[in-house]
Amino acid sequence: MNTGVNLGGIVMKNPVTTASGTFGFGLEYQPYVALQRLGAITVKGTTLKPRLGNSPPRIAETPSGMLNAIGLQNPGVERVAEEIMPRLAGLGVPVIINIAGDTVEDYAQVARRLDGVPGVAGLEVNISCPNVKKGGIQFGSDPHTAAEVTRAVKAATGLSVIVKLSPNVTDLVAMAEAVAGAGADALSMINTLLGMAIDVDRRRPVLGNITGGLSGPAVRPVAVRAVWQVHRALPLTPILGMGGIMTARDALEFILAGATAVAVGTGNFVNPRATLDVVEGIEQYMSNHGFTDISELVGLAQRYTGEN
Amino acid sequence: MSQLVQAEITGCRETAPGIWVTEFLAPSLARGAMPGQFLHIRCGEGSDPLLRRPISIHSVDRQSGRVKIMFQVVGKGTAWLAGRRDGFIDIMGPLGRGFTVFTGEQAGLDCSNPRLVVVGGGIGAAPLYFLLQELARVGCVQQVMVLLGARTANQLLILDAAKVLGFNVRVATDDGSGGYRGLVTDLLAEELQQKTDFVFACGPLPMLKSLCDMLRDAGVPGEVSVEERMACGVGACLSCVCRVKDTGGIETYRHACVDGPVFAVGEVLL
Repeated sequence: MNTGVNLGGIVMKNPVTTASGTFGFGLEYQPYVALQRLGAITVKGTTLKPRLGNSPPRIAETPSGMLNAIGLQNPGVERVAEEIMPRLAGLGVPVIINIAGDTVEDYAQVARRLDGVPGVAGLEVNISCPNVKKGGIQFGSDPHTAAEVTRAVKAATGLSVIVKLSPNVTDLVAMAEAVAGAGADALSMINTLLGMAIDVDRRRPVLGNITGGLSGPAVRPVAVRAVWQVHRALPLTPILGMGGIMTARDALEFILAGATAVAVGTGNFVNPRATLDVVEGIEQYMSNHGFTDISELVGLAQRYTGEN
Repeated sequence: MSQLVQAEITGCRETAPGIWVTEFLAPSLARGAMPGQFLHIRCGEGSDPLLRRPISIHSVDRQSGRVKIMFQVVGKGTAWLAGRRDGFIDIMGPLGRGFTVFTGEQAGLDCSNPRLVVVGGGIGAAPLYFLLQELARVGCVQQVMVLLGARTANQLLILDAAKVLGFNVRVATDDGSGGYRGLVTDLLAEELQQKTDFVFACGPLPMLKSLCDMLRDAGVPGEVSVEERMACGVGACLSCVCRVKDTGGIETYRHACVDGPVFAVGEVLL
């Protein structure tokens, strides 16, 4: 049985990685997960300079989901390259680093710094963080700026470049076409949905940042739809699908919609072993249903158009 | 080392109105646990409630491998947990940094002659019982004054249990239905008149705030256990931040789940 995939040049032994921001820098989950069994590890959003993040409270639980407004707290690219990557490089698992910036040049500089760092296999360009004032969503809501960031990152690095798209746009396919046209090797979707919660007893917003990003099972149908639409429009562009994946069956929805690989995010908080449960569950499904190569499943549900 | 365990429930009772004690069998977890550490418990089978609930360890019997948690029902997660009478619960733990006095000589205390004060407010008394168990185990009982506060007498927790272990206990209630009428920190102010070497505390934020101010003014070191909204419990999601002043006076954040939940007095800005 072959569960290996190629996500825009990133060779993964199985299609499962972690969603950025939910798995720290990987090592936090070592007591629960044999990290070398993951297809890839996607780590916390990294910026040029260290960032303190937003004021607490930073999370709120919502029905079958959660809001977060962490605000890209991270130690900065220098420490990630010098201190964290050496500890991950020996695992033999491709590491995808999520990168963010305030300006196009910031993205390019972070990308340049990570080029050639041992263990780093790819970059996930975060143009869709809903929780920071600058950098993030304003790059991800306009196709021209999104393409500009993509081109700048591609020019700055030889690494595989995945561009992470926001669901908080009117025309997701136009965004996907713009960044794919600008050279993105793969697309990841979806980032969190912009949301908020109000504490009725205290009559004020729950989050320190007022608004936050919604994740968890509540967003899964939105995410599956996003993957479906983008895969339909751009069948040759590999997609990393994510949004509320808790189990293998959830992951298979994304794969059948057209995702080459999947990421477990909020699910890690609920079940720290969720990633490995998904890996094992996909193998079980393939074996039960007689599939020998995971590629047979990618986009398989697209055969149905609603007319047949 | 923290682990993921399915622990069999061996008992469950409502110890005070809305306050539950659940006991379960988790020998490997019991062996490694330190007072002040917490367990991250899945409170439900589906996706709502979604996140685990961080609950401190109330007591440990290393011999039998039994562990107890004491918690207040405040929402649907804790309500679900209080409804478990048997079966298994899904637990990650032990997690976090507990009271450091037992992990070596960090606190600079030998237990031959220090005078210690343990202060618990409301449900904050829950983890302090485990601390008292450990203090008793190392023969440190006569040197300890336990101060417990609650809104009303039937909400006073760990009072009898602390007495059974032989500790001196003073209590305060808001309505005067038990012990001193007023705040437990008023009792602390009296205790601080005598030589005091170290204070351990857990309780509501206003209590911890005034306690930290009092200890700073008195020049007495101590440790407080704080509560924060938490998602992952392992330092990955960066949700449960507490403000700290680092050297140079720069404000930054620590994480209650891995840097705490127990912090030295003065370490975090409450």
